Amino acid sequence: MSENNREIHDVVMVGAGPSSLSAAIYTTREDIDTLLIEKGVIGGLAAITDKIDNYPGFPDGVSGLELSENLRKQAEKFGAKIMLGEVTKITGEGETKRLDTTEGTIYAKTVLLATGTDHRKLGVPGEEEFYGRGVHYCATCDGAFYRDKKLVVVGGGNSAAQESLFLTRYASHIDMLVRSDKMRASDVLINKLQENDKITIHLNTTTDEIVGDNTGVKKVVGTDKIKGQKVEFECDGVFIFVGLNPNTSFLKDSAIELDEAGFIKTNSRLETNVPGVFASGDVRSGATMQIATASGEGATAALMIREYLEN
Amino acid sequence: MSQNITVYTTNSCAYCGMVKRWLDTKGYAYQEINLEEQPERQQEVLEMSGSLSVPVTVVNAANGSKSIAVGYNIGKLASML
Ligand SMILES: Cc1cc2nc3c(=O)[nH]c(=O)nc-3n(C[C@H](O)[C@H](O)[C@H](O)COP(=O)(O)OP(=O)(O)OC[C@H]3O[C@@H](n4cnc5c(N)ncnc54)[C@H](O)[C@@H]3O)c2cc1C
Repeated sequence: MSENNREIHDVVMVGAGPSSLSAAIYTTREDIDTLLIEKGVIGGLAAITDKIDNYPGFPDGVSGLELSENLRKQAEKFGAKIMLGEVTKITGEGETKRLDTTEGTIYAKTVLLATGTDHRKLGVPGEEEFYGRGVHYCATCDGAFYRDKKLVVVGGGNSAAQESLFLTRYASHIDMLVRSDKMRASDVLINKLQENDKITIHLNTTTDEIVGDNTGVKKVVGTDKIKGQKVEFECDGVFIFVGLNPNTSFLKDSAIELDEAGFIKTNSRLETNVPGVFASGDVRSGATMQIATASGEGATAALMIREYLEN
Repeated sequence: MSQNITVYTTNSCAYCGMVKRWLDTKGYAYQEINLEEQPERQQEVLEMSGSLSVPVTVVNAANGSKSIAVGYNIGKLASML
């Protein structure tokens, strides 16, 4: 629909991860004109995950890339449009929302914010210096460069566990450095790690520095917190999975309310404090950070958006 | 001579797929070099980009200049073409 010669979409979804792709399947089937804007990978973090074992309906698991491709196809089949670009600002112009993007200005009656999260940096010496030549955050992208090499994985959550298992396809050995006294991953993953003789888990071990030379990374220096001793792990590369930060920096000058950690606050209808602006998936305050729940929230948000548009 | 674009990739890299998709939507032709299938070419990428992290996109412009993007960054890619 257009007003003063400018096109106004019924809904613009920021991000094209599982949450907004699921939302788009619902809105397009209701004939709601739907545009998604994606700055990274279509499919979001799910697309860069090797294998997903806990998404309902796939008893043998499904590759993240395949699930993402299917979600994209399903949304596009019903008429969703996906634009490759980044949303840099959102402002209200009366009932209409204005989105500044790298591809120009876009207008919408409603907005779904489903921008997910991004990898957190560790913040230790050497991390920046060796980024891309020994320090990595994406196992499915760069794991293949470590065939028969030694790796360190930093982190003790589900992502670190899952990615370590993927990296054993290539690496000869992996030292996992876990800061706390136990892993935060699911029992299924912990069991798989313990059964894998290529992986050694070091609990109570901090990562203090990544050391190398002009040929790349040589070792990771940490501290064994129990013994209070410095420990060193020789390696050719380091993969870091130490948590996720919300992708909300583009909202900092907007009226949209965030929680202390920067996640978007919503009510039970998944609407933010700005009427007509909704949020779903990992970026929403209180989200449970799973593909199934991100998809479910997307479906809920779509139904709330339909109701908003009808009124 | 017109510009020449090369994208270095690995098999399971989703960001590599996005670079190719972005180039396709903008109508640019490119050649792909899969570093998992051609590991002997990894050193050349490391030397050229200072990085062994894919995707790496190399644009050799018609005037002979060369620009390189590591990762999938639409703004950077657009400025190179
Ligand atoms: C290594 C790893 C393994 C995982 N394994 C599992 C698993 O086995 N099972 C499971 O259920 N979950 C898993 N997860 C979690 C799962 O990937 C997420 O819960 C899910 O992807 C969240 O979906 P989303 O749509 O909310 O956000 P995301 O998938 O993060 O997608 C958000 C999208 O928004 C885009 N975006 C951000 N800002 C902007 C902007 N300003 N403009 C335009 N686009 C923007 C991003 O590029 C991104 O593509 C894993 C996560 C990681 C990191």
